[in-house]
Amino acid sequence: MIRIEYETQRLSLRFFMVMLVLFFLQTAFGLLLAAQHIDPTLLAGTLNFNVLRSQHVNLAIFWVLSGFIATILFVGPLLSKRELAEPWLIKVLFYALLAVVAWNALTQVLAQQGVAGWWMGQPLLQEGLEYLEAGRVADVVILIGFAILCRVVLRTFPPRAQWNEIHWGLGLGVVALTLVWIFGMAFVERLDVQEYFRWYVVHYWVEGVWEVIHIALVGFLLVLMFGANVKSVGYAVFWGISLVWLSGLLGNAHHYFWIGTPEFWQFWGSLFSALEPLPLIFCFWHIYLDAHQDGKPVANMPAFSFLLGSVVLEQVGAGILGFTMTFALTNVWSHGTWVTLSHAHLALFGTFGMLGLAAAYYAVPIMRGLAAFDQRPGRLAFWLVFTGMLGLGFVFATGGTVQVFVYRTLGLDWFSGDVAPAMQFAKVSVPVFGMVFASGVGVLVYDLLTMGLRAPAAAGDEAAAVPRSAGWGRRLSGWETGLWLLAMWVFGGIITLGLLSFNLPSVQQGNALFPYLMAGIGYPGLLLTTLLFVRRFLRSLEARRHVPAAPLVVAAVSPAGAG
Amino acid sequence: MSCKPGEPCHEGLKRRRALAVLGLMAILFVALSAVSFLDSRGQAVPSQVGYAGFDAVEGKRVFQSYNCMGCHTIVGNGAYFAPDLTKLYDKAGPAWLEAFLPSAGAWPTSGAVRRHLQDPAIAAEAGTDDLDAYLEAYPAAAERIARRGGKATTMPNLPLTREEIGNLIAFLKYTSQMNTEGWPPTPAVDGLSFPQATPLPAALRAAATATPQEGAAAAAPVSAVAHGEALAVDNGCTACHATDRQRLVGPGWGGLYGSTTTLADGSAVAVDEAYLTQSILDPDAHIVAGFEPGAMPSFADMLEAGEVAAIVAFIRSLGETKP
Repeated sequence: MIRIEYETQRLSLRFFMVMLVLFFLQTAFGLLLAAQHIDPTLLAGTLNFNVLRSQHVNLAIFWVLSGFIATILFVGPLLSKRELAEPWLIKVLFYALLAVVAWNALTQVLAQQGVAGWWMGQPLLQEGLEYLEAGRVADVVILIGFAILCRVVLRTFPPRAQWNEIHWGLGLGVVALTLVWIFGMAFVERLDVQEYFRWYVVHYWVEGVWEVIHIALVGFLLVLMFGANVKSVGYAVFWGISLVWLSGLLGNAHHYFWIGTPEFWQFWGSLFSALEPLPLIFCFWHIYLDAHQDGKPVANMPAFSFLLGSVVLEQVGAGILGFTMTFALTNVWSHGTWVTLSHAHLALFGTFGMLGLAAAYYAVPIMRGLAAFDQRPGRLAFWLVFTGMLGLGFVFATGGTVQVFVYRTLGLDWFSGDVAPAMQFAKVSVPVFGMVFASGVGVLVYDLLTMGLRAPAAAGDEAAAVPRSAGWGRRLSGWETGLWLLAMWVFGGIITLGLLSFNLPSVQQGNALFPYLMAGIGYPGLLLTTLLFVRRFLRSLEARRHVPAAPLVVAAVSPAGAG
Repeated sequence: MSCKPGEPCHEGLKRRRALAVLGLMAILFVALSAVSFLDSRGQAVPSQVGYAGFDAVEGKRVFQSYNCMGCHTIVGNGAYFAPDLTKLYDKAGPAWLEAFLPSAGAWPTSGAVRRHLQDPAIAAEAGTDDLDAYLEAYPAAAERIARRGGKATTMPNLPLTREEIGNLIAFLKYTSQMNTEGWPPTPAVDGLSFPQATPLPAALRAAATATPQEGAAAAAPVSAVAHGEALAVDNGCTACHATDRQRLVGPGWGGLYGSTTTLADGSAVAVDEAYLTQSILDPDAHIVAGFEPGAMPSFADMLEAGEVAAIVAFIRSLGETKP
């Protein structure tokens, strides 16, 4: 498909563009936060850490949502085989999004003066709750925006009797997105009750709603890119969503270990959230199957790279790193430290951010009417952000392990005196990987914003860059994929043992050797395996362009071997 | 779990079954949740926690208004830039918090904590009005004063009012009383004995081992200015007053002596020894334009006449404006 089929698909372009701008700003705020971690006096009093952090976190949510909206608007007409309903509402949604982003950015600064705009017991301007920092005014506008999205999606879809599983996934997703948001819209007096409901929004968004939208969109993008069968992909989407909800509904209990709720949540949370990686393994397996159902060259490598990155980082960040800290006995140590940051960054940016970027790389060239585009900046940008984010995951996790030991095991709570000096190496490494990441962001934002508008670069000799179909470029079999995945989980197991070892009496007596050793093997092992696996996967796909005739034979032979 | 094209896969039936299982799990979840918040569990509730006449629910509003969670964690949730606050009240106690919060940019000294223990309401909450007994009851306060007292923190000064500080402490008292199922874990060792801990200053370590009398006897006779400087630090004056012209919570002391300042009622007054002495002993007698009354406590019960004179001499040493 090199042309758009429905005119209203073009409405997605503006949301993609907003997504890119917000992503760029979010990265810039992230770098500022890293600098403040090294020198806490930097900008203190002008832009305090908490304000910068709320901008960083809120922009992450806004740009991921922009990416979802854009992708849904782009695929909605294709799924429904008709134009989007009520395009004027989508234009309203767009300006509401711009207004609410700007309004929220301005009101967050008020936290420095302690102004929340209390009226009738509700904070109208900002409310100082992690991830839900937006005040009630912004909350209401966001709710209206979600309602508009629901209406457009549901009115565009065919009658319910004709829904396939992807319709169900997206339909349930957008409705749940709206309903869950409501739980974050009240001031709650009790801290335990407030945290209980705050995780309704945060957990059920990422592990319920966003995950469902993610699965449905990944499924449909695979249909578009590889011509996979809608019915088979839909069936996989059904199983993915079922597993996500069946594990994630009670999996939310892993947030209820230490917030003042009873001890029994430790049992339910440990049990069900340990099952949460299952749908992610399933999704991981499916991207392999769909990418290998024929041996044709992949037309749009940047788009596929980001899609693969999304599914792989979902596996590593959400699945494996989430698993390591999901048990009450490991979570008691990781909770409230940098260890959780590695999980949060890999899972949130990886899973949801990369999906939006994949969709943008798929959709923007089509909407700009380009039959072909220079894929080199996109591929370069992918490797920069992917490597940068894996590096960030590594330094957050190792810095976090030191933090657990110094802060929890030794009980030293002077952050600027004891804890930060112990974490100095990690704190200094954050901006190093941050700059790698940010340079990738710069390249991809420039590439996508100006794609088709700037003078085309001199066509490089792309054929020369195609890797040979041997070594790293040989065909990736199902067995090999399974082995890579197994290696990732083995390192995940080592990380889990490392966190668990903080319970050992010897560690409690102040000997950090075992947990440091486990973290020193587990985190670099996991993240390097991830990096090499993605390189292997992408090389094998790039090599397909080398052998135009052979793939059919290969494809016919190896599925049996892949078992 | 895959379905080939053309095969009947019974998606509708399976979807309904999945929804039914999901419904059962939702019922389980709701039941567990309902049990979690039964009154009979005896979990602390902010509306039932008071602190010196302040309100923990209002304190939660203050906590949210300043986005404290954007740097700190509470029950482990929030940012990881600053320490967890859940059990801070239990560990450091109300007088330390009272001394810290008005000028969070500097760590309180023992004098500042002692000053707040003079307040009967705070002393009643702390369970003692004696500094030594307080430091014994709240070891984290003792550790903070000994290792950090007088040093700069990495927290910005926040424009907290007296009311907000009281409510915030009430909220922290409430979170201290919460049953968080053993989190955060209690360390099995004394972290201060490990190399990761910033060591105590050598002089303080020596003083900590010496008895108070010996310490006083060992101190060489000092000038009035040096004595005044030590008193100003020890009593927490410099937490709110800069030694240059900068405005912190109160006016800066640099170049203050001999200047003429405008009061809130519009009148002008010469800053001399008598004015400064009165401002230390009865701070609300004259309020400089742009400042609030009630921010500074009286030191009449805490300083001898000679000590007040030494502090005035120290202020005078910081630069004199010739009339």
